[in-house]
Amino acid sequence: MSVTTQDRNPIIRWDYVVDQSDDILAALGQHLELTLISVAVGLAVSAPLAALALRYRWTTSAITGFTGFLYTLPSVALFALLVPVFGLSRVSTVIPLASYTLLILVTNIIAGFRSVPDSVLDAADGMGLTPARRVLSVQLPLALPSIITGLRIATVSTVGLLTVAAIIGQGGLGRLILDGLRRAFWTPMTVGALLSILLALVLDVLILWAGRAATPWARKAAS
Amino acid sequence: MSALAIRLDELTKRFAPDGPPAVDRLSLEVPGGSIVALIGPSGCGKTTTLRMVNRLIEPTSGTIALGDVDVTHRPVTELRRDIGYVIQQVGLFPHRTVAQNIATVPRTLGWPSARISDRIAELATLVGLDESMLDRYPDELSGGQQQRVGVARALAADPPVLLMDEPFGAVDPIVRARLQDELLGLQERLRKTIVLVTHDIDEALKLADRIALLNIGGVLEQYATPDELLRSPANAFVEQFVGEDRGVKRLALSAVRQLPFEQGPVVPIEADPATARAAMAENRSAWLGVVERGVFAGWVQGEQVQDGTRLADLPRYPPAGRVTPSSTLRNAMEVIMNSNTSVAVIDDGGAFGGVVTLEAIRAELGLSGADPETGAPV
Amino acid sequence: MGAEGRVVNRVATQAAVPRDVTLWEWLSDPETWTGPTGIWSSLGETVLLAGIVVVVATVAAVPLAAWLAHYRKGEIGVTWMVTLSRAVPTFAIAGLLVPVSLVNGWGFEPWPIFIALLLLALPPIYLNTYTAVRGVSSGSVDAARAMGFSERRILVDVELALATTLIFAGVRVSAVQVVATEPIRAFLGGDGMGRYVRDGLGQNNDTLVVGGALLIATLAAVTGLAFGLLERTALPYGVRRLKASSTV
Repeated sequence: MSVTTQDRNPIIRWDYVVDQSDDILAALGQHLELTLISVAVGLAVSAPLAALALRYRWTTSAITGFTGFLYTLPSVALFALLVPVFGLSRVSTVIPLASYTLLILVTNIIAGFRSVPDSVLDAADGMGLTPARRVLSVQLPLALPSIITGLRIATVSTVGLLTVAAIIGQGGLGRLILDGLRRAFWTPMTVGALLSILLALVLDVLILWAGRAATPWARKAAS
Repeated sequence: MSALAIRLDELTKRFAPDGPPAVDRLSLEVPGGSIVALIGPSGCGKTTTLRMVNRLIEPTSGTIALGDVDVTHRPVTELRRDIGYVIQQVGLFPHRTVAQNIATVPRTLGWPSARISDRIAELATLVGLDESMLDRYPDELSGGQQQRVGVARALAADPPVLLMDEPFGAVDPIVRARLQDELLGLQERLRKTIVLVTHDIDEALKLADRIALLNIGGVLEQYATPDELLRSPANAFVEQFVGEDRGVKRLALSAVRQLPFEQGPVVPIEADPATARAAMAENRSAWLGVVERGVFAGWVQGEQVQDGTRLADLPRYPPAGRVTPSSTLRNAMEVIMNSNTSVAVIDDGGAFGGVVTLEAIRAELGLSGADPETGAPV
Repeated sequence: MGAEGRVVNRVATQAAVPRDVTLWEWLSDPETWTGPTGIWSSLGETVLLAGIVVVVATVAAVPLAAWLAHYRKGEIGVTWMVTLSRAVPTFAIAGLLVPVSLVNGWGFEPWPIFIALLLLALPPIYLNTYTAVRGVSSGSVDAARAMGFSERRILVDVELALATTLIFAGVRVSAVQVVATEPIRAFLGGDGMGRYVRDGLGQNNDTLVVGGALLIATLAAVTGLAFGLLERTALPYGVRRLKASSTV
């Protein structure tokens, strides 16, 4: 049903957008959902890895090397390799995307914690804070700016990479792109692409604001 | 190339068009073949002035002439190849070997390679670099060695003028003293016109033929030889900058050989007690020095010189220190201070060369001119 | 039917591989390698596009970054490049450009994928060049100027020479990224090394999917190694021995 003449197939046809808004929103929703899950998983894996590197300095190089290696794996290849194992499922999507976030998250968590001045840690110990409280109420807040930056980068790049996951049927907005391509109908392609860029921007700003709200003392520092 | 004089004429530099001048109508002449030190507190424009000579900074007004030629009349890259430039961080090219670094300007000038290699070997000897270092890279060398390479590189094309900006600031005092001595030695052979920026008054006093003391804003407070500067500071600023120990500093400028010969309370070992006692009385000394075959042989306690004793039989004490004709009066005074005899023995290549006394030192400084304002000689 | 016709008839350029062929059998079959849909041909397509992208990115970024860094201008460009490097959704951009390209009559290829990959390739090269040139010790630059080097000669003989290691590293990172991302081309109307994954997914053929993935991964790894080797052999000794981040 895709025979269209040139003037009914411009870059974007607004009536189609309005008409299919449910479908588009569904794709957007799926994209958002998978992005958040992937980043959350990435964070969940990064935190212990970073903790390890912080506690045992000699592991830093190995951990950074490993996460860096994961980052260089081609996305198409990674999605494809997981298909025979996990099928065309969300797992096959989340695993690669989470892996790609590891490098930046681990790097930034470590940098954030290492940036806390020794004198501050000393003072905290001197005041009798338990190790747990020290981490939660002193180190974590001070490391937050760096972690937030890492989260922003991770989220933005995940949104972008998720579009590729459309090739294994999970791409949310990427599905719109491939759909349009297959049907030789440009509007979904344009809409999918634009929305993914927009989504990345919006999430970036939201995380930035959340970060600012959580760190009132760091407002003057460059983001 | 024979040495060129450098003449600064009403030289002014303003970094902001309506701001205060960094250098304000500076006029002075650097005689060809001499070392002139530019010295002063931070902000006095000494580095700015230096960098205007090779136009790394362009003057706002006024002129700089090398010989008879205004520096602004030559294309700037050509001018700079005729001026050697040595800076504190040295600035060697890390990706080139020592030899390649030194060869930079000659290569630019198109010298044939044979001439360049000869020149490099010549310079290496001149600045005290071992041949094995020529193929090394700068980061393999110590600070002192790097600075030697820097000097060699600056001299490579045999420029008549050498500009130096705190060249020895980055090395430790021992190496610095050695490099300073070597620069003096070099200058004796090469007779370049050298302008040296330093913040160290002692370095200026040691190295320079004339010193230009600048105040903030590039104002010239005094331009004089080291001795004049110490003896007759032009105003309170100069006095304060030079330091309260001007007198002691002046001692470092004169050598022992400038003093007239004095025998002092020293007699040949064969002398009789009467002659010995007369010598001690004349010099008001409680000690007697003895000379054996023209060589100083030690001090003898005056009270032990009795009638009938032979000087050779008395216990002898070695001098507290020795000075040579080329030692400074300051060294001599150190020795005098450290000895019981209040006299320093001069060792002239092994032979007894006379003595140095405090009176002699005072007289020498006084003879150079008493300052009417302070009254007594230093 | 023009562009649309090409999409509808996509099936014709696919490799047809039976589903029960194992990976080893597929790879060792000479027919897999030869012919218009063979591995060599696809490799050629990928390397050609990636090569052109990296060359264009290098030619565009290095002189500009070096010039700006020498004259201490254009700091804002660095921020742009950093933002670009973080936020480029290559697939989305290429996807966005396909309609633009088609509507203007320029076809599926090469503009959309080329531009998208170019945006991916620029930041590492630009940033490394800028940082490296900027980081050259001011002592060396000052001495060079005082020895009568023209500004251009300082930039080329001193700054770029010292920056070479870092620039090379940037080109290497860029090349690996481009090669790793180029396979999306196969999903946007093109071919190249990504075609086997595309065909495998389309035909539900695990062998093709896994084989294609391994080929892509291997190519990316080999690209990285090749550039590493080049860095070790092609650079002059004096430059190479300096650690990329240190200057005297």
